[in-house]
Amino acid sequence: MNSGIVIMMLGISLILGVLALFGVIWAIKTGQFDDKDKMMNTVHFDGEEELNEAAEKERRKKEYRPPD
Amino acid sequence: MSKIECSHCHLDFDEEVMIKEEENSASQTTTRYFSEESSAPQTTTRYFCCKGCQGVFHLLRDSGLESFYDKLGDKKLSAPTHTLDESTAFDSDSFYRQFVTKNSEGFYEVSLIIEGLHCAACVWLNEKALHRLEGVIEAHINFSNNKAKIIWADHIVKLSAIIDMIRAIGYNAYPYDPSVQETKANSQRKAYYLRIVVALFSAMNIMWIAVAQYAGYFSGMTQEMKTILNVAEWILATPVLFYSGWGFFKGAYFGVKNKIVSMDMLVATGALLTYLYSIYITLMQEGEAYFDSVAMIITFVLLGKFLEVLSKKSVADTMDAIAKHVPNEVSVVQEGVSERRSVHEVKAGDLIEIKPGEKAAIDGEVTRGEGFFDESSLSGESHPIYKKEGEKIISGTICIDALFHYRATKDFSHSTLSKLVSMLESAMRKKPRIEMAANEISRYFSTVILLVALATFFVWWLWPHSFDRAFMVGISVIIIACPCALALATPVATLVGLNLGGKRGILFKEAAQLETMAKTQMLILDKTGTITQGRPEVVNSRLFKELDKALLLALCSSSLHPIAQAVAAHLKHEEPSLRPLALHTSKQLPSRGVAAVHEGRKILGGNAAFMKENGIAVEVKTHLSLFFFAVDEELVGYFELKDRPKEGIKELLAFCEESGIEVLMLTGDHQESARFIAEEVGIKNYRAELSPQQKADIVASHGEKVRVMVGDGVNDILALASANIGIAMGSGSDIAIEVSDVVLLNDSLKSLKEAFVISRRTYRLVKQNLAISLVYNAVTIPLAMAGYVIPLIAAVSMSFSSLLVVGNSIRIKWKWNR
Repeated sequence: MNSGIVIMMLGISLILGVLALFGVIWAIKTGQFDDKDKMMNTVHFDGEEELNEAAEKERRKKEYRPPD
Repeated sequence: MSKIECSHCHLDFDEEVMIKEEENSASQTTTRYFSEESSAPQTTTRYFCCKGCQGVFHLLRDSGLESFYDKLGDKKLSAPTHTLDESTAFDSDSFYRQFVTKNSEGFYEVSLIIEGLHCAACVWLNEKALHRLEGVIEAHINFSNNKAKIIWADHIVKLSAIIDMIRAIGYNAYPYDPSVQETKANSQRKAYYLRIVVALFSAMNIMWIAVAQYAGYFSGMTQEMKTILNVAEWILATPVLFYSGWGFFKGAYFGVKNKIVSMDMLVATGALLTYLYSIYITLMQEGEAYFDSVAMIITFVLLGKFLEVLSKKSVADTMDAIAKHVPNEVSVVQEGVSERRSVHEVKAGDLIEIKPGEKAAIDGEVTRGEGFFDESSLSGESHPIYKKEGEKIISGTICIDALFHYRATKDFSHSTLSKLVSMLESAMRKKPRIEMAANEISRYFSTVILLVALATFFVWWLWPHSFDRAFMVGISVIIIACPCALALATPVATLVGLNLGGKRGILFKEAAQLETMAKTQMLILDKTGTITQGRPEVVNSRLFKELDKALLLALCSSSLHPIAQAVAAHLKHEEPSLRPLALHTSKQLPSRGVAAVHEGRKILGGNAAFMKENGIAVEVKTHLSLFFFAVDEELVGYFELKDRPKEGIKELLAFCEESGIEVLMLTGDHQESARFIAEEVGIKNYRAELSPQQKADIVASHGEKVRVMVGDGVNDILALASANIGIAMGSGSDIAIEVSDVVLLNDSLKSLKEAFVISRRTYRLVKQNLAISLVYNAVTIPLAMAGYVIPLIAAVSMSFSSLLVVGNSIRIKWKWNR
């Protein structure tokens, strides 16, 4: 086997793996696994409505900002 | 009578008591599911057990949250157990100062503990309902520990409105102070997760590259290919060693500073030397690199440590849960007007008002009002205590039935309740810990291995061999002795123990407690509720005349006194269909009995003193509690009652005798009743008439022994916290369960005995596992020193020893389950 091919395959697969690893690290850091009981039920609470709510939250943050 | 389910809480009740509500569902959105089958309007009938449930149901539907019921499934909600104090208290300045913080964006933040969360649907509902509230920016609820963080804009919505919303949908919230400690513990756990994830990712990827290398080792591979694979492994091993394994370097550094050779030291040096050697091999392009061993050592040992961290409970969590039992505010009366004030602002001499159901936060003396106080939380005394003008009120007790005014004699921090809490906190922080067997062994082990490896290297080098060869042999000693099996021995065994206990209703809160419990030398038992049932039961009755049971039941049901309740339960048990007659009047006479009138007849029920006061002669000699019953001043009969010991006490005591565990009984009860129970069950040592503080002192005074304290009430908490292991009954008070280390869910003494058996087995398993890994090393290390083991074989055999340990643990579990 050509060593160039081995280098390429190793490189690409490791890069893909590292991307996934960074995804998991990001999820842990943003607290998505903090609550193990809730995490197991995420499927019930992940829909269009939740997305709308997240957008709504951003809007509220601007709107309600108290005059300082 | 058919039972029917409430549409909101899903609890079952008789149909006749339910509120029925019929509704033409054509106008409702739900019809769209039916409309395909029939276009005719359908009528839905709903049943509610109370107005509260009905209210919540409509509130949810009107705000479009009825999908809560789909998410709830067939789970049941629990009924509310107490009335709530006013929510406006949450808007006071003193409350804000204590619990609310302002964040950098100008919003307010509070941490709450939410009560009544049963399932993920409840969490969803609370978050949704709060998000819909105008002015709330963010509401985040953690389902695992019921803690919530709420961020809101204070100029739009007040905190009281937020709390009211939570209460309106059937939950309750109380604030807690998120301590620095808790935040620290959380971030520490998170850091561990990150390190584990990185270590696992890299180790697994190194494994598949290593497979190629091992295959190449036997079937031949060009040096070029080998170097490519080595470089890939090098890249992967670097984050494992320096990121995931950072803790070991730190541990080794502190070890050197304190002149202790710890396991961290062995792991750090072993991994680092192997890493450096492998880099040298990779660059020189000859020989074998062992990056896979580096990754494996770090990952395995880290996993073992992580298992221990995971099962540790934090003192901070416990103290937060206890804070709920301490009132934050009291009503202070000034010039005839009562005003809510923070407990910290009250001075000695202030006049305080306390309403029925409220808990006193500050010690004082009654100036107005008379009625009953529940002092069970402090004295263990189960009967309500009657208080009138001039008598003392102790903080922590609950006012039952009247409005009192009392003058504070101390400020909050010197009051009984707050002193109790601070004593509890210090007891929990100073909890004696027993060194785990594995830690002791690994310290000697590490020193020996490092010296042996060093000696091997020099011997090989001076007995003329190349530096390469000598270095490799030295390293193979460290790798083969890698404490992976040693690090896994305890966590894996304790996991098996925790699992066994869990299946039998014995909850160990921390893995390390299994080992401590196995070394128990002294068992200290509380009397009421632990050795005995905790409530009197009728054991004997005698009747002089025909007894109208319905009348007696009516009389007993009208009283809340435990003895009257026990008689009522006894009557109901004998004749389940019995219904109480309606009494004309009934009057409670404290520590005497009940007097009532039914159709002109005067009925009395109570103790002997009460009968004598009413001119009825009674003569019964017994050490048991008695309940007399008289109609029109004529004795009808009496009942003998007794607090019976629980089943399994004999077996437990026999077990203790056999295993050399000393048994001591402590109680707040009278000398006489303590002696009686002790003699009945066969306990030689007992102490009676003790205050909670004295109990704790007695427990602490046996400091040289490993002590297990078993209790159930609030009056036991200090003692529970002072013992090496505190065990609480599952039906005990919330605080006792929080403070304890082990909880017996089914309250039985049989599980207490089982808890001992399980902990002993687990400890034996730990010792077995340690022995396996040591024997393994004793065989393989000489081989490695003689140079018969190349690092490759060492790495493979290292995993093998870990597998042996895990396998042994699984074997025990399998044997036990059979």
